[in-house]
Amino acid sequence: MNASVYEPGFITLENITKTFGEGEDSIRVVEPLMLRIAKGEFVVFVGPSGCGKTTVMRMIGGLEKPTGGRITLAGQPITGPSREKGMVFQSYSSFPWLTVLNNVRFGLKYRRDIGPAEKERVARHYLRLVGLEPFADFFVNRISGGMRQRVAIARTLAADPLVLLMDEPFGALDALTRERLQVQLLEIGRTERKTVVFVTHDVDEAVLLADRIVVFSARPARVLRDINVAAELPRERGLEITEDPRFRRLRQEVLELLRIEEDRVVEAQMAKVS
Amino acid sequence: MRGGGAVRTGQRRLASTSSRERRSLGRELFEFRGPARPGRDLWVGIGAFVFIVVLWLLVTELGLVHPQFLPSPLAVLRALRNLFVTADYLSDIGISVWRVWAAFATAALIAIPLGILMSSYRLVGAFAEPVVDFVRYLPVPALVPLTLIWLGIGESSKIALLWIGTFFQLVLLVADDARRVPREFIETGRTLGANDFSLMKDVLIRAMMPNMVDSLRITLGWCWTYLLIAEIVASNSGIGYELWTARRYGKTPEVFAGILTIGVIGLVSDQVIRALHRRAFRYLT
Repeated sequence: MNASVYEPGFITLENITKTFGEGEDSIRVVEPLMLRIAKGEFVVFVGPSGCGKTTVMRMIGGLEKPTGGRITLAGQPITGPSREKGMVFQSYSSFPWLTVLNNVRFGLKYRRDIGPAEKERVARHYLRLVGLEPFADFFVNRISGGMRQRVAIARTLAADPLVLLMDEPFGALDALTRERLQVQLLEIGRTERKTVVFVTHDVDEAVLLADRIVVFSARPARVLRDINVAAELPRERGLEITEDPRFRRLRQEVLELLRIEEDRVVEAQMAKVS
Repeated sequence: MRGGGAVRTGQRRLASTSSRERRSLGRELFEFRGPARPGRDLWVGIGAFVFIVVLWLLVTELGLVHPQFLPSPLAVLRALRNLFVTADYLSDIGISVWRVWAAFATAALIAIPLGILMSSYRLVGAFAEPVVDFVRYLPVPALVPLTLIWLGIGESSKIALLWIGTFFQLVLLVADDARRVPREFIETGRTLGANDFSLMKDVLIRAMMPNMVDSLRITLGWCWTYLLIAEIVASNSGIGYELWTARRYGKTPEVFAGILTIGVIGLVSDQVIRALHRRAFRYLT
Protein backbone atom coordinates (compact mmCIF):
# COMPACT_ATOMS: atom_id res chain seq x y z
CA MET A 1 0.00 0.00 0.00
CA ASN A 2 2.71 2.40 -0.97
CA ALA A 3 0.96 5.61 -2.03
CA SER A 4 3.68 6.46 -4.55
CA VAL A 5 2.78 3.34 -6.57
CA TYR A 6 -0.50 4.99 -7.49
CA GLU A 7 -0.82 7.71 -10.06
CA PRO A 8 -3.94 9.31 -8.63
CA GLY A 9 -5.16 10.65 -11.96
CA PHE A 10 -4.75 7.52 -14.05
CA ILE A 11 -8.41 7.70 -15.05
CA THR A 12 -10.15 11.03 -14.60
CA LEU A 13 -13.79 11.91 -15.14
CA GLU A 14 -14.40 15.66 -15.13
CA ASN A 15 -17.97 16.97 -14.95
CA ILE A 16 -19.26 14.01 -16.89
CA THR A 17 -22.93 14.09 -17.84
CA LYS A 18 -24.97 11.72 -19.93
CA THR A 19 -28.43 12.21 -21.39
CA PHE A 20 -30.19 9.60 -23.49
CA GLY A 21 -32.62 10.81 -26.15
CA GLU A 22 -33.47 14.35 -27.09
CA GLY A 23 -36.00 17.03 -26.15
CA GLU A 24 -39.10 16.03 -24.18
CA ASP A 25 -38.24 12.35 -23.98
CA SER A 26 -34.65 12.79 -22.91
CA ILE A 27 -33.51 11.07 -19.76
CA ARG A 28 -30.63 12.35 -17.75
CA VAL A 29 -28.66 9.31 -16.67
CA VAL A 30 -25.55 10.85 -15.16
CA GLU A 31 -25.31 14.09 -13.19
CA PRO A 32 -22.12 16.14 -13.44
CA LEU A 33 -19.69 13.58 -12.08
CA MET A 34 -16.13 13.89 -10.83
CA LEU A 35 -14.09 10.77 -10.31
CA ARG A 36 -10.43 9.87 -10.20
CA ILE A 37 -9.14 6.35 -10.35
CA ALA A 38 -5.55 5.53 -9.50
CA LYS A 39 -3.33 3.14 -11.39
CA GLY A 40 -3.57 -0.39 -10.03
CA GLU A 41 -6.73 0.37 -8.10
CA PHE A 42 -9.62 -2.10 -8.00
CA VAL A 43 -12.72 0.10 -8.02
CA VAL A 44 -16.20 -1.35 -7.66
CA PHE A 45 -19.30 0.59 -8.73
CA VAL A 46 -22.49 -0.26 -6.86
CA GLY A 47 -25.89 1.39 -6.97
CA PRO A 48 -29.60 0.74 -7.40
CA SER A 49 -30.46 -1.10 -10.61
CA GLY A 50 -30.75 1.17 -13.62
CA CYS A 51 -28.86 3.95 -11.84
CA GLY A 52 -26.35 4.55 -14.60
CA LYS A 53 -23.29 2.84 -13.11
CA THR A 54 -22.90 0.69 -16.19
CA THR A 55 -23.22 3.78 -18.38
CA VAL A 56 -20.38 5.44 -16.46
CA MET A 57 -18.23 2.38 -17.02
CA ARG A 58 -19.14 2.18 -20.71
CA MET A 59 -18.09 5.82 -21.06
CA ILE A 60 -14.70 4.96 -19.59
CA GLY A 61 -14.52 2.12 -22.12
CA GLY A 62 -15.30 4.55 -24.95
CA LEU A 63 -18.41 2.54 -25.85
CA GLU A 64 -20.63 5.47 -24.94
CA LYS A 65 -19.89 9.16 -25.47
CA PRO A 66 -20.50 11.51 -22.56
CA THR A 67 -22.96 14.31 -23.29
CA GLY A 68 -20.72 16.72 -21.44
CA GLY A 69 -17.37 16.70 -19.68
CA ARG A 70 -14.08 14.96 -20.30
CA ILE A 71 -12.62 11.56 -19.54
CA THR A 72 -8.93 10.78 -19.72
CA LEU A 73 -6.91 7.60 -19.40
CA ALA A 74 -3.19 7.94 -18.68
CA GLY A 75 -3.44 11.60 -19.63
CA GLN A 76 -5.07 10.97 -23.01
CA PRO A 77 -8.72 11.87 -23.69
CA ILE A 78 -10.94 8.88 -24.45
CA THR A 79 -12.42 9.10 -27.94
CA GLY A 80 -13.69 5.58 -28.54
CA PRO A 81 -13.18 1.93 -27.74
CA SER A 82 -9.66 0.56 -28.05
CA ARG A 83 -7.39 -2.22 -26.86
CA GLU A 84 -6.36 -0.03 -23.91
CA LYS A 85 -9.78 -0.51 -22.33
CA GLY A 86 -10.60 -4.20 -22.02
CA MET A 87 -14.19 -5.22 -21.36
CA VAL A 88 -15.73 -8.35 -19.87
CA PHE A 89 -19.49 -8.72 -20.27
CA GLN A 90 -21.98 -10.79 -18.35
CA SER A 91 -23.35 -12.64 -21.38
CA TYR A 92 -22.03 -13.43 -24.87
CA SER A 93 -18.62 -12.87 -23.32
CA SER A 94 -16.74 -15.49 -25.35
CA PHE A 95 -17.05 -16.34 -29.04
CA PRO A 96 -18.93 -19.61 -29.66
CA TRP A 97 -17.27 -20.24 -33.05
CA LEU A 98 -13.82 -20.44 -31.48
CA THR A 99 -12.25 -22.94 -29.13
CA VAL A 100 -11.15 -21.85 -25.67
CA LEU A 101 -7.54 -21.39 -26.79
CA ASN A 102 -8.53 -19.53 -29.94
CA ASN A 103 -10.74 -17.24 -27.90
CA VAL A 104 -7.70 -16.31 -25.80
CA ARG A 105 -5.59 -15.95 -28.95
CA PHE A 106 -8.21 -13.56 -30.30
CA GLY A 107 -7.20 -11.13 -27.57
CA LEU A 108 -3.76 -10.94 -29.18
CA LYS A 109 -4.92 -10.85 -32.79
CA TYR A 110 -4.65 -7.10 -33.24
CA ARG A 111 -1.53 -6.52 -31.15
CA ARG A 112 1.39 -5.19 -33.15
CA ASP A 113 3.79 -4.76 -30.22
CA ILE A 114 4.75 -8.44 -30.05
CA GLY A 115 5.57 -11.17 -32.58
CA PRO A 116 3.80 -14.48 -33.25
CA ALA A 117 5.98 -16.57 -30.94
CA GLU A 118 5.50 -14.15 -28.07
CA LYS A 119 1.76 -14.06 -28.78
CA GLU A 120 1.55 -17.82 -28.46
CA ARG A 121 3.46 -17.70 -25.17
CA VAL A 122 1.16 -14.97 -23.80
CA ALA A 123 -1.98 -16.88 -24.85
CA ARG A 124 -0.75 -20.03 -23.09
CA HIS A 125 0.22 -17.99 -20.04
CA TYR A 126 -3.25 -16.53 -19.56
CA LEU A 127 -4.94 -19.83 -20.35
CA ARG A 128 -2.90 -21.34 -17.52
CA LEU A 129 -3.58 -18.36 -15.26
CA VAL A 130 -7.34 -18.98 -15.39
CA GLY A 131 -6.83 -22.73 -15.11
CA LEU A 132 -8.32 -23.70 -18.46
CA GLU A 133 -5.35 -25.48 -20.07
CA PRO A 134 -7.10 -28.87 -20.09
CA PHE A 135 -10.01 -27.31 -22.00
CA ALA A 136 -7.90 -25.53 -24.63
CA ASP A 137 -9.52 -27.30 -27.59
CA PHE A 138 -13.10 -27.25 -26.33
CA PHE A 139 -15.69 -25.08 -28.00
CA VAL A 140 -17.29 -22.77 -25.46
CA ASN A 141 -20.70 -24.47 -25.64
CA ARG A 142 -19.03 -27.49 -24.05
CA ILE A 143 -17.83 -25.64 -20.95
CA SER A 144 -19.71 -24.15 -18.00
CA GLY A 145 -20.80 -20.54 -17.60
CA GLY A 146 -18.06 -19.94 -15.04
CA MET A 147 -15.42 -21.25 -17.42
CA ARG A 148 -16.75 -19.02 -20.18
CA GLN A 149 -16.21 -15.99 -17.96
CA ARG A 150 -12.67 -17.18 -17.27
CA VAL A 151 -12.10 -17.46 -21.03
CA ALA A 152 -13.28 -13.85 -21.40
CA ILE A 153 -11.01 -12.67 -18.58
CA ALA A 154 -7.98 -14.48 -20.05
CA ARG A 155 -8.72 -13.10 -23.52
CA THR A 156 -9.08 -9.55 -22.23
CA LEU A 157 -5.86 -9.76 -20.18
CA ALA A 158 -4.02 -11.16 -23.21
CA ALA A 159 -4.82 -7.94 -25.07
CA ASP A 160 -2.81 -6.16 -22.35
CA PRO A 161 -5.25 -3.30 -21.61
CA LEU A 162 -4.45 -0.37 -19.33
CA VAL A 163 -7.75 -0.87 -17.55
CA LEU A 164 -10.01 -3.87 -17.18
CA LEU A 165 -13.73 -3.03 -17.23
CA MET A 166 -16.06 -5.70 -15.92
CA ASP A 167 -19.82 -5.37 -16.28
CA GLU A 168 -21.42 -7.72 -13.72
CA PRO A 169 -19.23 -10.51 -15.06
CA PHE A 170 -20.34 -13.03 -12.42
CA GLY A 171 -23.98 -11.95 -12.31
CA ALA A 172 -25.36 -14.98 -14.13
CA LEU A 173 -23.39 -17.60 -12.20
CA ASP A 174 -24.45 -19.79 -9.29
CA ALA A 175 -23.23 -18.83 -5.81
CA LEU A 176 -20.41 -21.39 -5.55
CA THR A 177 -18.99 -20.71 -9.00
CA ARG A 178 -19.18 -17.00 -8.33
CA GLU A 179 -17.19 -17.40 -5.09
CA ARG A 180 -14.55 -19.42 -6.86
CA LEU A 181 -14.20 -16.82 -9.61
CA GLN A 182 -14.06 -13.97 -7.10
CA VAL A 183 -11.13 -15.64 -5.35
CA GLN A 184 -9.46 -16.27 -8.67
CA LEU A 185 -9.94 -12.66 -9.69
CA LEU A 186 -8.37 -11.52 -6.40
CA GLU A 187 -5.35 -13.69 -7.15
CA ILE A 188 -5.11 -12.42 -10.71
CA GLY A 189 -5.42 -8.86 -9.44
CA ARG A 190 -2.51 -9.50 -7.14
CA THR A 191 -0.22 -10.96 -9.81
CA GLU A 192 -1.24 -8.77 -12.77
CA ARG A 193 -1.60 -5.44 -10.94
CA LYS A 194 -4.24 -4.24 -13.36
CA THR A 195 -6.47 -1.26 -12.84
CA VAL A 196 -9.97 -2.69 -12.63
CA VAL A 197 -13.40 -1.07 -12.75
CA PHE A 198 -16.02 -3.59 -11.73
CA VAL A 199 -19.80 -3.08 -11.78
CA THR A 200 -21.99 -5.25 -9.57
CA HIS A 201 -25.16 -5.16 -7.52
CA ASP A 202 -23.85 -7.84 -5.17
CA VAL A 203 -22.69 -6.00 -2.04
CA ASP A 204 -20.66 -8.94 -0.67
CA GLU A 205 -18.85 -9.22 -3.97
CA ALA A 206 -18.14 -5.48 -3.92
CA VAL A 207 -16.56 -5.48 -0.44
CA LEU A 208 -14.64 -8.69 -1.09
CA LEU A 209 -13.00 -7.46 -4.29
CA ALA A 210 -12.67 -3.71 -3.91
CA ASP A 211 -9.86 -1.42 -2.93
CA ARG A 212 -12.50 1.20 -3.19
CA ILE A 213 -16.27 1.20 -3.56
CA VAL A 214 -18.11 4.00 -5.31
CA VAL A 215 -21.77 3.97 -4.29
CA PHE A 216 -24.01 5.65 -6.86
CA SER A 217 -27.40 7.23 -6.26
CA ALA A 218 -30.52 6.30 -8.18
CA ARG A 219 -30.81 7.83 -11.66
CA PRO A 220 -29.43 10.34 -12.50
CA ALA A 221 -26.24 8.89 -11.08
CA ARG A 222 -24.10 10.86 -8.68
CA VAL A 223 -21.58 9.59 -6.15
CA LEU A 224 -23.31 8.94 -2.83
CA ARG A 225 -20.21 7.75 -1.07
CA ASP A 226 -16.66 6.85 -1.94
CA ILE A 227 -15.46 4.15 0.45
CA ASN A 228 -11.77 3.38 0.85
CA VAL A 229 -11.93 -0.34 1.51
CA ALA A 230 -8.17 -0.80 1.21
CA ALA A 231 -7.72 1.41 4.28
CA GLU A 232 -9.69 -1.06 6.40
CA LEU A 233 -9.12 -4.47 4.85
CA PRO A 234 -5.79 -6.01 3.85
CA ARG A 235 -5.19 -6.05 0.11
CA GLU A 236 -4.29 -9.69 0.31
CA ARG A 237 -7.57 -11.38 1.15
CA GLY A 238 -9.53 -14.52 0.57
CA LEU A 239 -13.05 -15.71 1.34
CA GLU A 240 -12.22 -15.89 5.09
CA ILE A 241 -12.33 -12.08 5.16
CA THR A 242 -16.13 -12.28 4.93
CA GLU A 243 -16.10 -13.40 8.62
CA ASP A 244 -14.10 -10.32 9.62
CA PRO A 245 -16.09 -7.71 11.62
CA ARG A 246 -14.59 -4.92 9.49
CA PHE A 247 -15.90 -6.66 6.35
CA ARG A 248 -19.36 -6.87 7.91
CA ARG A 249 -19.31 -3.24 8.93
CA LEU A 250 -18.41 -2.13 5.39
CA ARG A 251 -21.03 -4.42 3.93
CA GLN A 252 -23.60 -2.98 6.34
CA GLU A 253 -22.61 0.56 5.40
CA VAL A 254 -23.09 -0.06 1.67
CA LEU A 255 -26.34 -1.97 2.17
CA GLU A 256 -27.73 0.82 4.33
CA LEU A 257 -26.97 3.41 1.66
CA LEU A 258 -28.58 1.31 -1.04
CA ARG A 259 -31.67 0.63 1.09
CA ILE A 260 -32.25 4.32 1.71
CA GLU A 261 -31.77 5.01 -1.99
CA GLU A 262 -34.16 2.26 -3.10
CA ASP A 263 -36.80 3.53 -0.64
CA ARG A 264 -36.40 7.01 -2.02
CA VAL A 265 -36.95 5.71 -5.57
CA VAL A 266 -40.08 3.76 -4.58
CA GLU A 267 -41.51 6.80 -2.76
CA ALA A 268 -40.84 9.02 -5.75
CA GLN A 269 -42.61 6.55 -8.03
CA MET A 270 -45.59 6.33 -5.65
CA ALA A 271 -45.82 10.10 -5.56
CA LYS A 272 -45.84 10.19 -9.35
CA VAL A 273 -48.59 7.57 -9.64
CA SER A 274 -50.95 9.11 -7.05
CA MET B 1 -68.07 -72.85 -16.08
CA ARG B 2 -66.92 -71.85 -12.63
CA GLY B 3 -63.36 -71.58 -13.72
CA GLY B 4 -64.48 -69.57 -16.75
CA GLY B 5 -65.40 -66.61 -14.53
CA ALA B 6 -61.90 -66.47 -13.10
CA VAL B 7 -60.42 -66.64 -16.58
CA ARG B 8 -62.70 -63.88 -17.71
CA THR B 9 -61.67 -61.60 -14.84
CA GLY B 10 -58.09 -62.44 -15.63
CA GLN B 11 -58.65 -61.52 -19.24
CA ARG B 12 -60.35 -58.34 -18.25
CA ARG B 13 -57.39 -57.44 -16.09
CA LEU B 14 -55.11 -58.21 -19.00
CA ALA B 15 -57.21 -56.11 -21.33
CA SER B 16 -57.20 -53.18 -18.94
CA THR B 17 -53.41 -53.22 -18.52
CA SER B 18 -52.84 -53.40 -22.26
CA SER B 19 -55.20 -50.48 -22.82
CA ARG B 20 -53.31 -48.53 -20.21
CA GLU B 21 -50.10 -49.41 -22.00
CA ARG B 22 -51.64 -48.34 -25.23
CA ARG B 23 -52.59 -45.02 -23.71
CA SER B 24 -49.06 -44.42 -22.43
CA LEU B 25 -47.67 -45.42 -25.82
CA GLY B 26 -49.96 -42.83 -27.40
CA ARG B 27 -48.74 -40.26 -24.94
CA GLU B 28 -45.16 -41.14 -25.83
CA LEU B 29 -45.75 -40.85 -29.57
CA PHE B 30 -47.60 -37.57 -29.22
CA GLU B 31 -45.59 -36.02 -26.40
CA PHE B 32 -46.08 -32.28 -26.44
CA ARG B 33 -42.74 -30.79 -27.52
CA GLY B 34 -41.12 -34.15 -26.89
CA PRO B 35 -37.46 -34.90 -27.55
CA ALA B 36 -36.20 -35.36 -31.11
CA ARG B 37 -35.57 -38.94 -32.22
CA PRO B 38 -33.54 -38.61 -35.43
CA GLY B 39 -33.71 -42.32 -36.30
CA ARG B 40 -37.44 -42.63 -35.82
CA ASP B 41 -38.21 -39.24 -37.37
CA LEU B 42 -36.29 -40.13 -40.53
CA TRP B 43 -38.34 -43.28 -41.03
CA VAL B 44 -41.56 -41.42 -40.29
CA GLY B 45 -40.58 -38.88 -42.96
CA ILE B 46 -39.88 -41.63 -45.50
CA GLY B 47 -43.13 -43.29 -44.43
CA ALA B 48 -45.03 -40.14 -45.39
CA PHE B 49 -43.81 -40.45 -48.98
CA VAL B 50 -44.55 -44.16 -49.07
CA PHE B 51 -48.04 -43.41 -47.75
CA ILE B 52 -48.70 -40.86 -50.48
CA VAL B 53 -47.41 -43.13 -53.24
CA VAL B 54 -49.47 -46.10 -52.02
CA LEU B 55 -52.58 -43.92 -51.82
CA TRP B 56 -51.81 -42.60 -55.28
CA LEU B 57 -51.38 -46.12 -56.64
CA LEU B 58 -54.66 -47.26 -55.08
CA VAL B 59 -56.65 -44.35 -56.44
CA THR B 60 -55.28 -44.67 -59.98
CA GLU B 61 -55.04 -48.45 -60.30
CA LEU B 62 -58.63 -48.86 -59.07
CA GLY B 63 -59.66 -46.38 -61.74
CA LEU B 64 -61.19 -43.90 -59.31
CA VAL B 65 -59.83 -40.90 -61.21
CA HIS B 66 -59.52 -40.22 -64.90
CA PRO B 67 -55.84 -40.69 -65.92
CA GLN B 68 -55.98 -37.36 -67.74
CA PHE B 69 -56.29 -35.70 -64.32
CA LEU B 70 -54.14 -38.02 -62.27
CA PRO B 71 -51.97 -40.56 -64.08
CA SER B 72 -50.71 -43.56 -62.16
CA PRO B 73 -47.24 -43.30 -60.60
CA LEU B 74 -46.11 -46.01 -62.99
CA ALA B 75 -47.15 -43.91 -65.97
CA VAL B 76 -45.24 -40.98 -64.48
CA LEU B 77 -42.13 -43.13 -64.14
CA ARG B 78 -42.51 -44.26 -67.75
CA ALA B 79 -42.89 -40.65 -68.84
CA LEU B 80 -39.78 -39.72 -66.87
CA ARG B 81 -37.82 -42.46 -68.62
CA ASN B 82 -39.09 -41.34 -72.02
CA LEU B 83 -38.07 -37.79 -71.26
CA PHE B 84 -34.54 -38.92 -70.48
CA VAL B 85 -34.32 -41.16 -73.52
CA THR B 86 -36.05 -39.15 -76.22
CA ALA B 87 -36.13 -35.51 -75.09
CA ASP B 88 -32.61 -35.15 -73.68
CA TYR B 89 -34.10 -34.33 -70.30
CA LEU B 90 -30.72 -34.40 -68.58
CA SER B 91 -29.58 -31.32 -70.46
CA ASP B 92 -32.91 -29.65 -69.52
CA ILE B 93 -32.20 -30.37 -65.89
CA GLY B 94 -28.65 -29.18 -66.38
CA ILE B 95 -29.71 -25.88 -67.89
CA SER B 96 -32.32 -25.29 -65.17
CA VAL B 97 -29.85 -26.00 -62.40
CA TRP B 98 -27.32 -23.76 -64.10
CA ARG B 99 -29.83 -20.89 -64.37
CA VAL B 100 -30.75 -21.18 -60.71
CA TRP B 101 -27.18 -21.31 -59.50
CA ALA B 102 -25.92 -18.56 -61.78
CA ALA B 103 -28.65 -16.23 -60.53
CA PHE B 104 -28.40 -17.37 -56.94
CA ALA B 105 -24.60 -17.15 -56.73
CA THR B 106 -24.42 -13.65 -58.21
CA ALA B 107 -27.31 -12.53 -55.99
CA ALA B 108 -25.57 -13.90 -52.88
CA LEU B 109 -22.23 -12.45 -53.92
CA ILE B 110 -23.66 -8.93 -53.89
CA ALA B 111 -26.38 -9.35 -51.27
CA ILE B 112 -24.09 -10.59 -48.51
CA PRO B 113 -21.65 -7.64 -48.46
CA LEU B 114 -24.45 -5.15 -49.07
CA GLY B 115 -26.60 -6.61 -46.29
CA ILE B 116 -23.67 -6.46 -43.90
CA LEU B 117 -22.90 -2.86 -44.84
CA MET B 118 -26.58 -1.91 -44.48
CA SER B 119 -26.63 -3.19 -40.92
CA SER B 120 -23.19 -1.84 -40.04
CA TYR B 121 -23.55 1.72 -41.31
CA ARG B 122 -26.77 3.62 -40.63
CA LEU B 123 -26.33 5.75 -43.73
CA VAL B 124 -26.06 2.78 -46.09
CA GLY B 125 -29.09 1.22 -44.44
CA ALA B 126 -31.12 4.42 -44.64
CA PHE B 127 -30.23 4.75 -48.33
CA ALA B 128 -30.68 1.17 -49.51
CA GLU B 129 -33.40 -0.26 -47.31
CA PRO B 130 -36.44 1.68 -48.64
CA VAL B 131 -35.49 0.90 -52.26
CA VAL B 132 -34.85 -2.76 -51.55
CA ASP B 133 -38.09 -3.00 -49.62
CA PHE B 134 -40.00 -1.46 -52.51
CA VAL B 135 -38.59 -3.80 -55.14
CA ARG B 136 -39.08 -6.76 -52.85
CA TYR B 137 -42.82 -6.25 -52.93
CA LEU B 138 -43.02 -6.19 -56.72
CA PRO B 139 -44.37 -9.55 -57.89
CA VAL B 140 -41.68 -11.20 -60.00
CA PRO B 141 -44.04 -12.13 -62.90
CA ALA B 142 -44.78 -8.42 -63.32
CA LEU B 143 -41.13 -7.93 -64.25
CA VAL B 144 -41.10 -10.53 -67.00
CA PRO B 145 -42.07 -8.09 -69.81
CA LEU B 146 -39.37 -5.71 -68.66
CA THR B 147 -36.61 -8.32 -68.63
CA LEU B 148 -37.72 -9.41 -72.11
CA ILE B 149 -37.63 -5.84 -73.43
CA TRP B 150 -34.27 -5.14 -71.85
CA LEU B 151 -32.46 -8.40 -72.35
CA GLY B 152 -34.36 -10.29 -75.05
CA ILE B 153 -35.31 -13.95 -74.80
CA GLY B 154 -31.80 -15.29 -74.23
CA GLU B 155 -30.29 -16.70 -71.06
CA SER B 156 -29.59 -13.30 -69.55
CA SER B 157 -33.25 -12.31 -69.23
CA LYS B 158 -34.07 -15.51 -67.35
CA ILE B 159 -31.11 -15.18 -65.04
CA ALA B 160 -31.94 -11.52 -64.51
CA LEU B 161 -35.48 -12.42 -63.48
CA LEU B 162 -34.25 -15.02 -60.98
CA TRP B 163 -31.65 -12.58 -59.75
CA ILE B 164 -34.23 -9.88 -59.09
CA GLY B 165 -36.45 -12.41 -57.34
CA THR B 166 -33.72 -13.56 -54.97
CA PHE B 167 -31.40 -10.61 -54.52
CA PHE B 168 -33.81 -8.18 -52.89
CA GLN B 169 -35.16 -10.77 -50.48
CA LEU B 170 -31.69 -11.97 -49.61
CA VAL B 171 -30.30 -8.51 -48.90
CA LEU B 172 -32.90 -7.90 -46.24
CA LEU B 173 -32.50 -11.34 -44.71
CA VAL B 174 -28.72 -10.91 -44.52
CA ALA B 175 -29.07 -7.43 -43.03
CA ASP B 176 -31.38 -8.87 -40.37
CA ASP B 177 -28.99 -11.72 -39.64
CA ALA B 178 -26.22 -9.17 -39.15
CA ARG B 179 -28.40 -7.03 -36.91
CA ARG B 180 -29.20 -9.98 -34.69
CA VAL B 181 -25.53 -10.47 -33.75
CA PRO B 182 -25.34 -9.60 -30.03
CA ARG B 183 -23.92 -6.16 -29.31
CA GLU B 184 -21.51 -7.75 -26.83
CA PHE B 185 -19.66 -9.60 -29.61
CA ILE B 186 -19.13 -6.39 -31.56
CA GLU B 187 -18.05 -4.41 -28.51
CA THR B 188 -15.71 -7.19 -27.42
CA GLY B 189 -14.05 -7.06 -30.84
CA ARG B 190 -13.76 -3.29 -30.57
CA THR B 191 -12.18 -3.36 -27.13
CA LEU B 192 -9.67 -5.94 -28.35
CA GLY B 193 -8.50 -3.48 -30.98
CA ALA B 194 -10.36 -4.53 -34.15
CA ASN B 195 -11.00 -1.89 -36.80
CA ASP B 196 -14.22 -1.81 -38.85
CA PHE B 197 -12.98 -4.22 -41.48
CA SER B 198 -11.56 -6.73 -38.98
CA LEU B 199 -14.76 -6.43 -36.99
CA MET B 200 -16.84 -7.47 -39.99
CA LYS B 201 -14.42 -10.16 -41.12
CA ASP B 202 -13.46 -11.72 -37.78
CA VAL B 203 -16.53 -11.15 -35.63
CA LEU B 204 -19.70 -10.16 -37.47
CA ILE B 205 -19.54 -12.69 -40.33
CA ARG B 206 -18.47 -15.48 -38.02
CA ALA B 207 -21.26 -14.73 -35.58
CA MET B 208 -23.98 -14.43 -38.23
CA MET B 209 -22.82 -17.32 -40.42
CA PRO B 210 -25.16 -20.06 -39.13
CA ASN B 211 -28.24 -17.87 -39.59
CA MET B 212 -27.00 -16.61 -42.93
CA VAL B 213 -26.60 -20.12 -44.33
CA ASP B 214 -30.23 -20.71 -43.35
CA SER B 215 -31.25 -17.53 -45.16
CA LEU B 216 -29.38 -18.72 -48.25
CA ARG B 217 -31.06 -22.11 -48.09
CA ILE B 218 -34.50 -20.51 -47.95
CA THR B 219 -33.87 -18.08 -50.81
CA LEU B 220 -32.46 -20.87 -52.97
CA GLY B 221 -35.89 -22.49 -52.69
CA TRP B 222 -37.57 -19.27 -53.86
CA CYS B 223 -35.16 -19.12 -56.76
CA TRP B 224 -36.60 -22.40 -58.07
CA THR B 225 -40.09 -20.90 -57.97
CA TYR B 226 -39.03 -18.03 -60.18
CA LEU B 227 -37.19 -20.38 -62.51
CA LEU B 228 -40.46 -22.00 -63.49
CA ILE B 229 -42.02 -18.64 -64.24
CA ALA B 230 -39.06 -17.69 -66.40
CA GLU B 231 -38.99 -20.99 -68.27
CA ILE B 232 -42.72 -21.13 -68.86
CA VAL B 233 -42.99 -17.61 -70.26
CA ALA B 234 -40.14 -17.57 -72.74
CA SER B 235 -37.84 -20.51 -73.16
CA ASN B 236 -37.11 -23.52 -75.32
CA SER B 237 -35.14 -25.46 -72.76
CA GLY B 238 -35.24 -26.37 -69.10
CA ILE B 239 -37.53 -28.33 -66.82
CA GLY B 240 -40.18 -25.61 -66.89
CA TYR B 241 -40.19 -25.61 -70.69
CA GLU B 242 -40.68 -29.40 -70.85
CA LEU B 243 -43.42 -29.15 -68.26
CA TRP B 244 -45.26 -26.48 -70.20
CA THR B 245 -44.85 -28.27 -73.53
CA ALA B 246 -46.26 -31.45 -72.02
CA ARG B 247 -49.28 -29.50 -70.78
CA ARG B 248 -49.90 -28.13 -74.26
CA TYR B 249 -50.20 -31.66 -75.64
CA GLY B 250 -52.20 -32.86 -72.66
CA LYS B 251 -49.47 -35.24 -71.51
CA THR B 252 -50.29 -35.29 -67.82
CA PRO B 253 -47.69 -37.96 -66.89
CA GLU B 254 -44.93 -35.72 -68.29
CA VAL B 255 -46.29 -32.77 -66.31
CA PHE B 256 -46.11 -34.88 -63.18
CA ALA B 257 -42.62 -36.03 -64.10
CA GLY B 258 -41.51 -32.38 -64.34
CA ILE B 259 -43.04 -31.48 -60.98
CA LEU B 260 -41.43 -34.54 -59.43
CA THR B 261 -38.02 -33.60 -60.81
CA ILE B 262 -38.18 -30.12 -59.29
CA GLY B 263 -39.39 -31.52 -55.98
CA VAL B 264 -36.55 -34.03 -55.82
CA ILE B 265 -33.88 -31.46 -56.75
CA GLY B 266 -35.29 -29.08 -54.13
CA LEU B 267 -35.41 -31.73 -51.44
CA VAL B 268 -31.90 -33.00 -52.18
CA SER B 269 -30.25 -29.57 -52.27
CA ASP B 270 -32.06 -28.56 -49.08
CA GLN B 271 -30.89 -31.69 -47.29
CA VAL B 272 -27.33 -31.25 -48.56
CA ILE B 273 -27.19 -27.68 -47.24
CA ARG B 274 -28.67 -28.78 -43.92
CA ALA B 275 -26.05 -31.50 -43.61
CA LEU B 276 -23.26 -29.03 -44.42
CA HIS B 277 -24.76 -26.65 -41.84
CA ARG B 278 -24.63 -29.33 -39.15
CA ARG B 279 -21.05 -30.15 -40.06
CA ALA B 280 -19.75 -26.59 -40.33
CA PHE B 281 -21.44 -25.31 -37.18
CA ARG B 282 -20.90 -28.24 -34.90
CA TYR B 283 -20.03 -25.77 -32.13
CA LEU B 284 -23.72 -24.88 -31.89
CA THR B 285 -24.93 -28.28 -30.77
